[in-house]
Amino acid sequence: MMAQEGIHAGFPSPATDYMTQAIDLNKELVRHPAATFYGRVVGDSMIDAGVDEGDILVIDRSLDPRDGDMAVCFINGEFTLKYLKFRPHLELLPANDRYPAIVVREGDDFKIWGVVTYVIKKVR
Amino acid sequence: MIALVDCNNFFVSCERVFRPDLEGKAVVVLSNNDGCVVSRSNESKAMGIRMGTPFFQIRHLVDNGSLKAYSSNYALYGDLSDRVMSILADTVPRIEVYSIDEAYLHLEGIPDEKIPVMCRELVVKIRKWVGIPVSVGLAPTKTLAKISSHFAKRHKGYRGVCMMDTEEKMLKALKLTPIDEVWGIGRKLAPKMKDWGIATAYDFVQRPEEWVSSRLGVNGLRTWKELQGIECIEEENEQRRKTICTSRSFADMIEDEQELSLRVSDFAAVCAQKLRKEGSAAGLVTVFLYTNRFRDDLVQYFPSLSLKLGVAANSTHDIVGTALKALKLIYRSGYKYKKAGVIVSDIVPSDSVQGSLFDFDEELRQKMDRLSAVMDEVNSSGTSVLRLASQRSGHYADGIRSEFRSPLYTTSLDEIIEVH
Repeated sequence: MMAQEGIHAGFPSPATDYMTQAIDLNKELVRHPAATFYGRVVGDSMIDAGVDEGDILVIDRSLDPRDGDMAVCFINGEFTLKYLKFRPHLELLPANDRYPAIVVREGDDFKIWGVVTYVIKKVR
Repeated sequence: MIALVDCNNFFVSCERVFRPDLEGKAVVVLSNNDGCVVSRSNESKAMGIRMGTPFFQIRHLVDNGSLKAYSSNYALYGDLSDRVMSILADTVPRIEVYSIDEAYLHLEGIPDEKIPVMCRELVVKIRKWVGIPVSVGLAPTKTLAKISSHFAKRHKGYRGVCMMDTEEKMLKALKLTPIDEVWGIGRKLAPKMKDWGIATAYDFVQRPEEWVSSRLGVNGLRTWKELQGIECIEEENEQRRKTICTSRSFADMIEDEQELSLRVSDFAAVCAQKLRKEGSAAGLVTVFLYTNRFRDDLVQYFPSLSLKLGVAANSTHDIVGTALKALKLIYRSGYKYKKAGVIVSDIVPSDSVQGSLFDFDEELRQKMDRLSAVMDEVNSSGTSVLRLASQRSGHYADGIRSEFRSPLYTTSLDEIIEVH
């Protein structure tokens, strides 16, 4: 018959001994795990800020958006990555001359979804 | 004072986090296999769609664009639930996770006057950080806290937090609460209550103690006391086992995946049987493998992997299926395995399991229960003779229908949101 044992504190793994203080990017890049989400960049509207298609965004929803932050916004049915400009009125600024600034108007279905804290780029 | 934090229309709210355009629109989430409605937005409730409505009855509304339907995406709901629970756990001394979308907060040591402000801050924080709207019910007992959370949810004026802190408020709430909405009364007892002329929670507490205990026994009396602010429902999981493990060293080392699948299926089936025996269900299934560490001449590998179940389960089908998925992910050929095992954890009472099929897909649930019961009966003779097909063949048929599943926004890097 099978051996059955009640285990109360997990089972010993031989790997535990080696898991010490190595750099943990999860800890460094994700300050608020409960509020952190990821997004994939599509298009080139932020190319002059060094953000290219395919890059991964680390988005921290716990942060209060400030003027000049790069943020993921939801406007009229789509997520968009732009710089926030609050004064004199709310605008979303691209980092590419070929795109116009988006002025947020009353009646737009608009939401600042989360502030971007890191951009992860695959270089090889 | 105890608080019940309840996520509003949880599955629908999870979908809306990544589809903000669906705020204010009619949305439903369907059970496993797209069988019936298990979560509704307020707008779809207002359209008259009921919990458990079979999908085919509302399909025309989806086709004509007035309703958006999603298949269950338990990986997403489980992840967002963890986030909500972690925020709660960081804020108060002790939380008791009651289901995927509900938790009790034990507030010992927090002065009463600070509690409502703290709870209101929690509502705002969870909405901002995770995107999920929650309601908080505060009261002296769990049963009352549940009622209180209903009020917090239904009446905008409470701004998400309702506190039942005076005798007067308590009585008023009891008068407004139909007896079948009281936690612990349930669908079975409700018709009897009607026969006895008990329509509301208030009618119920008017009955004398002897009357209640002679007709409803210990459990009924407990509910009766709880409704009057006398705490009697203990933390439920404590006396239950925290994990169940079934493992075994093999006489001969096993290299073949099929052969290992068979063994792991058996271990998982035993775990499932034990869960059912003690009336509980598990939310996490772990599979581990050991090579023979005393054989220096062989390559060594000690993998283990835990997979979360969307909804805590105890059916042989669910536990075995999940264990086999985990095995598939950790198995590597070229090793000789000496030992394998299955651990089930995150154990909760099975009657507290909420969500998909247990509550609403009644037919499927009964089918599962019957299948498991038959297997228990036959297998109790001592030799395990009755098995799922997967236990024999090592294959798990994953033929679940989910036509309208949203992306795995938080659990698969290939499916994260696209940002333009």
